[in-house]
Amino acid sequence: MNPSHPLQKVLVVPCSGIGKTYGTVSREAAYIVTEDLRPSETRLLALSKLVLGDEEARSAVEGNPAITIDGCKLACATKMVIESGGSITQDYAVLDVYRRYRQFKPQGIAELNECGEQLAQALAAEISQVVDRMNADQTGGSNG
Amino acid sequence: MVDLPKKKVGVVACSGEELPEGTITRLAALQVLEKSRPDDTVTICLPLFLAGGEGDRAFAKFYPTISVDGCELRCAAKATEKYSNKPAVSIMVRDLIEQNQLSEPKGRRRLNTAGIQAVEATAQEIVRSVDELLGRQWNRRSGELIQLEISGAVQTVTAQDSNTATCSCGSGIPVQNVIVAGQQVTVVGLPLIFQQFSEAGKNPNSETVNELMNTIKIYNSISSDDEPEYRQAIQKAYTQFWFTEKR
Repeated sequence: MNPSHPLQKVLVVPCSGIGKTYGTVSREAAYIVTEDLRPSETRLLALSKLVLGDEEARSAVEGNPAITIDGCKLACATKMVIESGGSITQDYAVLDVYRRYRQFKPQGIAELNECGEQLAQALAAEISQVVDRMNADQTGGSNG
Repeated sequence: MVDLPKKKVGVVACSGEELPEGTITRLAALQVLEKSRPDDTVTICLPLFLAGGEGDRAFAKFYPTISVDGCELRCAAKATEKYSNKPAVSIMVRDLIEQNQLSEPKGRRRLNTAGIQAVEATAQEIVRSVDELLGRQWNRRSGELIQLEISGAVQTVTAQDSNTATCSCGSGIPVQNVIVAGQQVTVVGLPLIFQQFSEAGKNPNSETVNELMNTIKIYNSISSDDEPEYRQAIQKAYTQFWFTEKR
């Protein structure tokens, strides 16, 4: 990597799940990472732009590593990033995350219950660690 | 007995996570799906038009669809038209904010007061469009909907859970290809319709084909010019289905 090239932002792409709780968890986790935990290292990308084929969104996906979060097995976020020419560093399925944190049973669609919020927090913490590793690799690459 | 899906209205929200207006589309759609018109509406996640199957892409052909967009990109309207069918109604939140002279919404994760007002205004506009699409009018005296049009298919529907947003993700709408005037045409809902008619013991005679056509036209747009060719194709396809089932 060119040392003068600014560090890439990690794209966080949640699914656009509207009718299911896990979709809401995916979105909430993405907000926690991009607004609270790692705001300067990450960027939230709306899936609808990739569906439309928006040039700026496609360009962002082509030029930055992505972490996808899917609410159901259809894995729309992961499929759309791949379809748009992106590379995925880590893909998360909320159901799998829930299996690791069974004490946090999420409920609610428009608004998550407390357990749903806690599950989103737990997922966001995992994502933040991945972002840190990616940034460390990037910085190491730049220095080396 | 197979229940045909009731004639419902599809609501496709852009759900744009990057903007407060995207959150407004999602919350307004959910309000309509869960509270205002739970029995009359259904939704699908926008990405399924690409990431899903043929049944998902048939969504806007099967249901008259209202697209709800947050911004001028109009991702929901354009993607719905590109991959499924032209939306019957397109709503844009920023237009409604302007029309209702609301303040700027803020907080894509937690909306401010102006954002919540915009959710209400958007939900009201969706409801108005749903009722219009279903051929209904609001009786201001009784405060109830006046149902103007009831079809046989509508009456056979099983009641839905009125507190849950009806999400079509992964359910897919069954489609079948038939040859109409030498061209392959996709008819949405046809496998279910054939199954229902066959189970009701309806022979493939002229009267049955009339009934079939009436039911098919609920879910498919067929012009009167094309109807004779469709009729022939449907008669042939149903006769084949009938004898295969009875074998």
